[in-house]
Amino acid sequence: MSVSNLLENWSEFRHLHPVDDVPHDPYKWAMSIDLDACSGCNACSVACYAENNLPVVGKEKYAHGQAMHWMRIERYWDEDGREFPDQGAQFLPMMCQQCEAAPCETVCPVGATNHTPDGINSQIYNRCIGSRYCSANCPFKVRYFNWYDYPTTDNVWPAEMNQQLNPDVTVRGKGVMEKCTFCIQRVTVAKNNAKNEGRIVHDGDVQTACQQACPTSAISFGNLVDKESKVYKQWKAQQVELDKDAQAKDKNEEGRSELRGYRIFEELRPYPSVMYLERVRESAV
Amino acid sequence: MMNSGFDRRDFLKVLGWGGAAVALSGCGNGSVEDGKETVVSYVETNDYMIPSISVYFNSTCAQCDAGCSITGRLREGRVLKLEGNPDSTINRGKTCGLGQAGVQHHYNPDRVREPLLRTGSSGEAITWEKAYALIAEKTKGVSGEEIAFLSGGVSGHLKVLLGNYLDSFGCKNHFAYEAIAPAVLRAANKKSYGVEMPRFNIGKAKVVLSFGADFLGSWVSPVHFSQQYAQFRKGVDGQRGVLIQVESKMTLTGANADRWLVVRPGTEGILALGLINALGAHGVALSGDVAAAVKGYDKARVSKDTGVSAEQIDKIVALLKARTPSLVLAGSAAEGYAHGSQNAAAINLLNQVLGNVGKTVEVAEVVPFPQMAPTTGNTAALRKLNDGLAAGKYKVLFSYAANPVFTAPGAMKFKDNMAKAGFKVVFAHYLDETALQADLVLPLDSALEDWNTQVPEYLATCAQINIQQPLMEKLHANTRGMGDILLALLKQRRAEEYKGFEDYYAYLRGAMLKNKAALGGGKLDDDTFWNETLSKGIVKLEGRVGGLSGRASAAGLTLPAPAAVDAQYPLQLIPSVNASLRDGRHTNQPWLQESPDPLTTIVWDSWVEIHPRKAAELGIVEGDIVEVSGKNGSIKAQAYLFPGIHPDAVSIPLGRGHEAMGRYAKGYGVNPFQILDPVFDKETGELALHETRVKISKAGSRVIVVKDEGVVGGMQMGKKIAVRVSSDKVKLSEEV
Amino acid sequence: MHRFLRLSVLLMGLFAAASTFAVDAQTPALTTEDDLGPAIEQPIEFPHVRHAKDMQINCMYCHTYARRSAVAGIPPLQKCIGCHQYIESVKDKPRIKTLFEYWDAKKAIPWKKVHDLPDFVRFNHERHIKRFYFQQNRPVQEVCGYCHGDVKEMTVARRSKLLSMGWCVSCHQKEHPVSAEGGTPVGNQVPWYSMKKPPADASGKVIKAKGPNDCSVCHK
Repeated sequence: MSVSNLLENWSEFRHLHPVDDVPHDPYKWAMSIDLDACSGCNACSVACYAENNLPVVGKEKYAHGQAMHWMRIERYWDEDGREFPDQGAQFLPMMCQQCEAAPCETVCPVGATNHTPDGINSQIYNRCIGSRYCSANCPFKVRYFNWYDYPTTDNVWPAEMNQQLNPDVTVRGKGVMEKCTFCIQRVTVAKNNAKNEGRIVHDGDVQTACQQACPTSAISFGNLVDKESKVYKQWKAQQVELDKDAQAKDKNEEGRSELRGYRIFEELRPYPSVMYLERVRESAV
Repeated sequence: MMNSGFDRRDFLKVLGWGGAAVALSGCGNGSVEDGKETVVSYVETNDYMIPSISVYFNSTCAQCDAGCSITGRLREGRVLKLEGNPDSTINRGKTCGLGQAGVQHHYNPDRVREPLLRTGSSGEAITWEKAYALIAEKTKGVSGEEIAFLSGGVSGHLKVLLGNYLDSFGCKNHFAYEAIAPAVLRAANKKSYGVEMPRFNIGKAKVVLSFGADFLGSWVSPVHFSQQYAQFRKGVDGQRGVLIQVESKMTLTGANADRWLVVRPGTEGILALGLINALGAHGVALSGDVAAAVKGYDKARVSKDTGVSAEQIDKIVALLKARTPSLVLAGSAAEGYAHGSQNAAAINLLNQVLGNVGKTVEVAEVVPFPQMAPTTGNTAALRKLNDGLAAGKYKVLFSYAANPVFTAPGAMKFKDNMAKAGFKVVFAHYLDETALQADLVLPLDSALEDWNTQVPEYLATCAQINIQQPLMEKLHANTRGMGDILLALLKQRRAEEYKGFEDYYAYLRGAMLKNKAALGGGKLDDDTFWNETLSKGIVKLEGRVGGLSGRASAAGLTLPAPAAVDAQYPLQLIPSVNASLRDGRHTNQPWLQESPDPLTTIVWDSWVEIHPRKAAELGIVEGDIVEVSGKNGSIKAQAYLFPGIHPDAVSIPLGRGHEAMGRYAKGYGVNPFQILDPVFDKETGELALHETRVKISKAGSRVIVVKDEGVVGGMQMGKKIAVRVSSDKVKLSEEV
Repeated sequence: MHRFLRLSVLLMGLFAAASTFAVDAQTPALTTEDDLGPAIEQPIEFPHVRHAKDMQINCMYCHTYARRSAVAGIPPLQKCIGCHQYIESVKDKPRIKTLFEYWDAKKAIPWKKVHDLPDFVRFNHERHIKRFYFQQNRPVQEVCGYCHGDVKEMTVARRSKLLSMGWCVSCHQKEHPVSAEGGTPVGNQVPWYSMKKPPADASGKVIKAKGPNDCSVCHK
């Protein structure tokens, strides 16, 4: 979105978000993550470091909360005061939720973060001035700021290590915000290939790095517009709808809803593009 | 896959470094400099080499011994990323975090680049000719008994060459050592099932009862088991699998259990026998010897010994009876005691009583080339080597893919004993603790530069030989492949026999082509077969399948009563195995250092896990530096209050605490291997990792624990972030 | 209807802030005008004029990657030799001698980059060539010339277009014909490019469309 275009066509652009009369077409990238399959093993997170040129910040900066893990595994314990966590832990892979009404987008003073037509919340590094408003306004805290110049002064990739850097992804310098992009470099390649062949991207043409690594295949990624895609089918089966702030499951919490799809902080109405499936625990033991 | 029908050698020849600059343009910070940046073109190319288009080559992951097949993504001659190879039945296109970090082993800035000869306290770079001459000189006239070769687990053609080299001296001293290996279990399985490693079909089981087997984290073949686990959770016929984990310190697998049962350390076998007893009481037929063996293990006693409530035992028994087939696994937590073999035997017996043998415990296929079959490592081998070294038996010691100076218990004094060997040659990627003790360090190619074949110990659904091949040109001119080194050494001994092989590649190709028919390529010409083999990265075989033997008698199976509380050292030390750091050989891969431990979310440092109740008793809070001391030394680390541990145990993760091995490993954390008590399993002689008893005291200072979880320590504070639902509230069979 | 984003207050804020930072700053005006880059000394003074004009060699004969990949790359040395080993008439010319020196040493020629884009920009040669050469059947020298200028008149290539973002956008905002069989753009993707429905013929089939106008298409 060039800025002039953004400004001239603002209302129209916003209108083109998925509302009843103008749905996304032909792409709306989305995810679903099955927490019952997720084992919390961290493979996705390391895969993300490898794919997206994430800097390793070291112990001291990690202590300052400056870790740059776009994909992180959150681990929660039950809070009912039992002595031992005898139903295990709750693991949750957390990354940018690619909100449809992203709180970060509206506060960016320079339009560096904005929505792509296919529903990804994009981050344009060279436009970013480092105000960090977006991060402050993100309810998921999945935006990461480059406090240091990791490629140069911090020398995060000393000789030979730098040869591993992915040329499809910018190595970010000091003072810019960054976050999960749904592996937009992979999406772009898939879209270009599809365009060359005069078709749209088929389900399975593109995998995100985390999805590809995940040993339990807990992560699905695909096009929510494509009715053949796994993600579409999963969202549909769980009756989760992109532009609703309360889902069928929530309405029926007391009874047996038999659904387990939900989105985090739905009540804040960011309309995230990531659906989680609740972790299941056996009732018989 | 773009890699069919080309000759790998040509590929490597033309590759050069051309194009690297084109690609590296992605790495700068972005000013436009027309006419300043150089774009180096290729001199010669193949058709598939197009700038900005990725090329994929198949190989085998060498980060652990599970044998996952990988696909390396290459751009302009550099390997950028490793993905799983979907054609492998082991990992089916998936990788773990450890596997992902394989590129950091390859590109590590702290790799050894030249052969180094010790002169006094420092190393001097020498040529390979000189290094080989030195080895020839030092082994001249030395008898086979005076040579020792220490290695990790080896298989494939490398094992053949290694065997032949040692044979040339008449040497029988090959010590295969793995610091963390299911060696006790192998022996127990051999007794119970007739094979060391049967196939555990988690995907087919309706209940998995695991005694400390961390199969989602680090046990045997975690990526394979993780996929089976996903299938198990979805259920075979719509009924979701139930996982019960029994252990004293929560592992990653325990954290995913439906029911996590904390037991007093070392009483896993007692619980297993108690369950058999209870099953008998609930009408499961027990044969005479089994009934006799479990007679004394009534619910009340078992509950008292283990700390598991009688009510819980009833629930498990009911579940095991109702849902079949089930699967019982014995893992490292059960093995790690002086009575580890008995623990494992008792747990295996439970499988037999439940009728799982032949259903979820299946016979594994065997690669029909016994000379290539894996020689698995264990700790008994190290003990034997250590005794020999202490007695000054060895004039020449070789060490490959092992770091015993770091991983042997301090009480074994391995470092001192190693010094007694006359001439110590260490084949190394990095200057680790063991390499620093060497007289001669020979730098190895990384796993992404080297040729090899590998036969995994744990085969999934078919027998397979894995091919490891260079994914890119060597980074450093003076490193060598292990196969090439062994071949060069063999040429010193048996020049006639090996003169036909220019290098290890030629040897490997020749050996594979000789067995072309047996490898399934009988109808293909040599080049086609070879190229196809390299392209796939896997040779799938008709494996030999035997049967599982009838069970061993339960007669004589007894378990010691739980150890009495030691007043001086009241706590059990559980050295825990983290899925990415394992025994510490990968600690210098920064992604793994910065990848939080899944359970504590701590990074870049070691910690001592203490149950909050115990911590309150001792007045310890998070971040207190505590001293953990036992009979064999003490270490200091930060305390972390962790609910998933028995209050009478503390746990410190293995893998950190390096004093060498480069910038990313050295000086981070502590090494609990150093304070382990030298207690060994009575039957197998394996080091009992969990038998160390310690006391714990505050050492005065306090630090802020560097971890990923928030200040409230993993609480959701009423926000529905990660939500859990009871299984009777969902219908998984109707999901996509 | 549920329009959750009509937040005029935020819009005002964005407008004010964006104008301060972006619009009023010294952005070059949208332009297609020429802008001559620096003259660059190359290891071999490659005469484009000889090859492209006198010999009438198709650009893509040497720059073969451009139609297959995002990156145009530089032709491999092997390509030059492939022809020149048979061209006796120029074999003793100093430039050709240098060429063979590199070849005999199997050394890559350290060409200097003439058209450099910032590292955060993702420009896709393949898409542009597909769109204008293969689908629109425009002459190849014209298509390459949109960005590279009149290379057939140059010896050593020299940048002659601005290659700034405004310069790129000026072309992306024009409406270019869309061929029916080209498959570009696909389906209802068209309105997204420009925010406005593109011109269509009587049957409603799109006949012209603007280039993609979405930050993340070009910025990586």
